[in-house]
Amino acid sequence: MKQSASWLQRVGVHGALLVIVAWSILPLLWTFQTSIKFTRDVAARVPVLWGYDTTAAAYRAYWFDNQNTNMWHVLLAVLLSVAVTSTIVLVGRRSKRSWVFNIAATAVVAVTLYVIGSVWDTSDQYEFLINSIVVTVATIAVSIGIGLLGGYGLARYSGKSGAAILIAALAFRALPRFAFILPFFIIAKSLGLLDSRAVIVLALVAVNQPFTIWMLRTFFLEVPKELEEAAMMDGATRLQAFIRVVIPTMKPGIIATSLFTLLLAYNEFLFIRVLAPTNWTLPVGIVALAGGESSKGITEAAAAAISITLPIVVVIILFQKHLVKGLGAGAVKG
Amino acid sequence: MNRKSFVSFVLPSVSVMTFLMVIPLATTIWLSLTDLILRDIDSAPFIGLQNYREVLSDPAFWSAARFTVLFVGITVPIQMLLGLAIALLLDRVHRFRSLYLAAILLPFIVTPVVGTLLFRNLFSRGGLLSWLIELFTGSAFVVDASNVRFLIILHAIWHVTPFAFVAIFAGLQTLPQERLEAAAMDGARTLRSFMHVTLPHLKSVLFFVAIVSIMDSYRVFDSVFVFAGNRFDNSHSLSVYNNVVALDAKIGRLGKGHAIAILTIIGIFVALTPFLIRSYKEQIAERT
Repeated sequence: MKQSASWLQRVGVHGALLVIVAWSILPLLWTFQTSIKFTRDVAARVPVLWGYDTTAAAYRAYWFDNQNTNMWHVLLAVLLSVAVTSTIVLVGRRSKRSWVFNIAATAVVAVTLYVIGSVWDTSDQYEFLINSIVVTVATIAVSIGIGLLGGYGLARYSGKSGAAILIAALAFRALPRFAFILPFFIIAKSLGLLDSRAVIVLALVAVNQPFTIWMLRTFFLEVPKELEEAAMMDGATRLQAFIRVVIPTMKPGIIATSLFTLLLAYNEFLFIRVLAPTNWTLPVGIVALAGGESSKGITEAAAAAISITLPIVVVIILFQKHLVKGLGAGAVKG
Repeated sequence: MNRKSFVSFVLPSVSVMTFLMVIPLATTIWLSLTDLILRDIDSAPFIGLQNYREVLSDPAFWSAARFTVLFVGITVPIQMLLGLAIALLLDRVHRFRSLYLAAILLPFIVTPVVGTLLFRNLFSRGGLLSWLIELFTGSAFVVDASNVRFLIILHAIWHVTPFAFVAIFAGLQTLPQERLEAAAMDGARTLRSFMHVTLPHLKSVLFFVAIVSIMDSYRVFDSVFVFAGNRFDNSHSLSVYNNVVALDAKIGRLGKGHAIAILTIIGIFVALTPFLIRSYKEQIAERT
């Protein structure tokens, strides 16, 4: 029997947690309100915390070259696209062929991105957004594709070389980026492949692979062996059993591992800065914009930070359980 | 699974790691013995250990090494203690649990360079915290060479504590309630049941968090680059120092940069080899 906590204790615990929540989200809230202020209020010596006028000018400056762009129209287009996409996904959830709906939703997002880029006069940052999306999606696809095979092999094989590969992967996980990045840079430069998205994706897949196989292996260990053994008794080969029987049970593991790969690729700064002199992604773009201390562009830098963070916030809200499960899987078994 | 199918399953992964990690690493070792420069990457004259001698007598290298060790030494213990405390707090709460989780996770998954800018905005001119500091101390707060290290460390605690917290929190969820109840029946007070039941259960999680945190904070780049970048040379981490030497357009000493990378790698393995050996033994033990 658990003793029920007293009223005072409960208030204390929630109070402490609220302090931690405030500490965690304060930087984001502060920058958000900077991003919607006019420069005169931002530059004020005593912060203007209440009753200031708001503007979308900083977001316009960040995303568009044409400073007469009507931000209401942009907002409307984005909200419309979000509404259509989420309706398709939600309807698809009830269907047996939900993948058809997911592909349709992806197509809507792609069309929206294309339409925004061609209707409005977008800035370089919009190119960087497209790069971020392409690099992230490709990195997830390649990483998970080969990681599933590797993780499965490592979960089911009991020889010593399996242990050796796992420990080597753990050791690679410890290496600083500079252990690989200079040779990558030199090879890409001499082959004329700087700025190539393919090189960036390959580099990200490589640094991410140790983590991917460890995490997927942990999830494979939870899948009972009898499952594929039964299929193989019925005449399936190991590979067929793997694809038809094991993979369908791995959905939580694939989602969790994909989420961490998404964060790695979307958040990467150093690799892209070195391997892409001009073909940047969003993190490199914002550092070029806001790296200095000048307060001139401070609202635009704030709008940039909020724009880059927004997709991440959506990810936490939608996939929080998978994120926590992924961190737990690594921690408890690893 | 037999050896043959094991080999074909792991082949793609292992070849990616061989071609894109092992071979670049070997190249790094070789190029660290040459005088390769950024302006002319086609010739790489062999100069033996000259780069290493130069790095080891460079005060900037030792300054970066000291700051990196200081950074790891301060942030890792604090992040683990704070993470443990938050996990224990949240474990006692059921209402609003997922809201708390989402908010506390945010600093960990926000893009590191963006998170650094968010954090820096609080301390820049007109920022909320710089204004509050001015209210209390009476003098204007300006980020300078003497306090930038403090800001880098404070930001790191903000950024990485959620990782320790979530891992430990997940570990707590697997603690069988009966064991705590048994301890309570035996009359164990909260503190004693924590020391004898909860903490031993969390041992492997804490071990995992410690290793990963040491790896990640040892190679810290993004936040130090944004905070200290070109302005505060005394607060560079090893990775930022490496970046300046190898890729700064004015310096561009790639050969020396490779030597720094190798020395950095030696540093982390001196610290981690005991852990790696221990993990290897555990892996072997699992198999028998």
